[in-house]
Amino acid sequence: MHALKIQNIEKTYGKVKVLKGIDLEIKPGQFLILVGPSGCGKSTLLNMIAGLEPVSNGNIFIGDRDVTHLDPKDRDIAMVFQSYALYPNMTVRQNIEFGLTIRKTEKSEQKKIVDKVSKLLQIEPLLDRKPKQLSGGQRQRVAMGRALARDPSIFLFDEPLSNLDAKLRVEMRGEIKELHQREGTTIVYVTHDQIEAMTLGDVIAVMKDGEIQQFGPPQEIYDNPRNQFIASFMGSPSMNFIPCLVEKVNGTMQITLESGNQKVKVPIKQNIKGLEAYAEKSVILGIRPEQITQQGEEKPDSAMLNCDVELIEPTGPDTLVTVRVNGVKTVCRVHPTAESKVNKLMPLLMDISKVVFFDPGTQERIY
Amino acid sequence: MSINRVLVYCLLGCAALLYLMPLVVMVITSLKDLDEIRSGTLLSMPQALNFDAWDKAWGSACTGVSCEGLKGYFWNSVLIVVPAVVISTVIGALNGYVLTKWKFRGSNLFFGMLLIGTMIPFQVILLPMARMLGFLGLAGTTSGLIMVHIIYGLAFTTLFFRNYYISIPSELVNAARIDGAGFWLIFVRIILPLSVPILVVSVIWQFTQIWNDFLFGVVYSSGDAQPITVALNNLVNTSTGVKEYNVDMAAAIIAALPTLFVYVVAGKYFVKGLTAGAVKG
Repeated sequence: MHALKIQNIEKTYGKVKVLKGIDLEIKPGQFLILVGPSGCGKSTLLNMIAGLEPVSNGNIFIGDRDVTHLDPKDRDIAMVFQSYALYPNMTVRQNIEFGLTIRKTEKSEQKKIVDKVSKLLQIEPLLDRKPKQLSGGQRQRVAMGRALARDPSIFLFDEPLSNLDAKLRVEMRGEIKELHQREGTTIVYVTHDQIEAMTLGDVIAVMKDGEIQQFGPPQEIYDNPRNQFIASFMGSPSMNFIPCLVEKVNGTMQITLESGNQKVKVPIKQNIKGLEAYAEKSVILGIRPEQITQQGEEKPDSAMLNCDVELIEPTGPDTLVTVRVNGVKTVCRVHPTAESKVNKLMPLLMDISKVVFFDPGTQERIY
Repeated sequence: MSINRVLVYCLLGCAALLYLMPLVVMVITSLKDLDEIRSGTLLSMPQALNFDAWDKAWGSACTGVSCEGLKGYFWNSVLIVVPAVVISTVIGALNGYVLTKWKFRGSNLFFGMLLIGTMIPFQVILLPMARMLGFLGLAGTTSGLIMVHIIYGLAFTTLFFRNYYISIPSELVNAARIDGAGFWLIFVRIILPLSVPILVVSVIWQFTQIWNDFLFGVVYSSGDAQPITVALNNLVNTSTGVKEYNVDMAAAIIAALPTLFVYVVAGKYFVKGLTAGAVKG
């Protein structure tokens, strides 16, 4: 059983192909995130699911119905827009009721729905106000209320938090997640913010240039990115990419790391078969900042390196230290109490057990 | 108050006086009788308030052969202006709505061509339009004149509404579409309530254009159906010996009153509407 199924969807504007054959499927109650840099086609895809833009090729199913060529109003969807798109000449109550009135819901039923939704979102005191008398967060809530009132089979969110200030964004993010957990709604959510994607999604589709680069649960995408683009896009600060030489010594693969005039040969204990083909050649080592920490208890698969510190950025919970490894800037996440000084050597521990490798040419992952 | 302030206000006051002078002369002349006009100067005040000239201009002055004043022609103008303004504004609003929110292939080209309509001088279309009206059987009728004004005004009203609606976010229309509203419902319930400032601009613009029009009126209407501007011209040019300046002035003021009235009532919306969308708030 699927709630939404997208089959080989394409979109072309004249000669330009914006979406190059998208396939997706989500189950009822799942929270799908479409994430990617601007211009990747994620909003276009959402608009096509909503029926606001015609499909050039392919099919869209909501439940068992083929909705590819249906009007937005016949698709059983509701949408929350980036600018909220509240009707400025109507009160909050009228905004929520608008869709119900058009669908000829009975007055008494409408009242019940408005009561329920406004209670759920705590907008009861605002019902008689006009949108321009509301703050950003309140408008956001009303926009969600308008969508909830319709009780559709799928909710579509188009970057709903990007107009809010940082603090409110985190707050509303939590509320959306809570709402999803409580109501068990199926949601398709577009964002360019990878933190929103990680925190909210059950499944994430990372998009670039009109294609889905990877589709899977957030942790899976974070730990096992399929290529260098996904690895750099997901996670903040971004994964470090260190070019290094691979050698085969006594049957084990080994890489060379250099920092502060010191060279270390690090054996790779992970079973990466593809790496053998790169013996005596250069690869890109991908290592996340939190995998390089201050000296402490040595783990079984780690390497010690004395690095020259170039930059120190305390964030509170931890401190970001920039060093240079194999000639490239490398960010490490260390404990704030760890002693470090600019232009001084600092011993750092690299957790090799979770590193990934990419082909320097194709930027694809080496498995 | 600084010396600069004083200077600025003096200058502004002088300019205002200068601009008001013709109107003042018109009003005081219309209140004098002919003897006073002959004996006094242009700016001398009337000795008593005397509305005889106004009476005559409204009810009994001669415009050509008939001597029934401007009364009938005033209503002619109203009958021409009201439908022409309403219809051209409504169609302009719909055009603007389609050109911004329901774009079709070639809609920008269509708009571009429509803009050319704002630059065509009246005189150029006189003959072709006369042929056209004759072909349609509307030559010399009030409906024919109304049609000319509507067609000529459409380019302007479409321009106004299109430029106003382009600043209304399309997400609003999308939200309404998802809510289940169609083309007309969105227009009536969402777009029109947001259009008050530009509606006022369009109405003022069209009202003054059509009310003040002389050329189309004189060419495309005849006899008793002529608008007030044509009648005013006839009144001033019809003389029976003496030139009645007081009646001419009164008639001119009567002909200008409706546009003055519209500006006074809705003038502040005019400026608001013209600048709306120019600066994003």
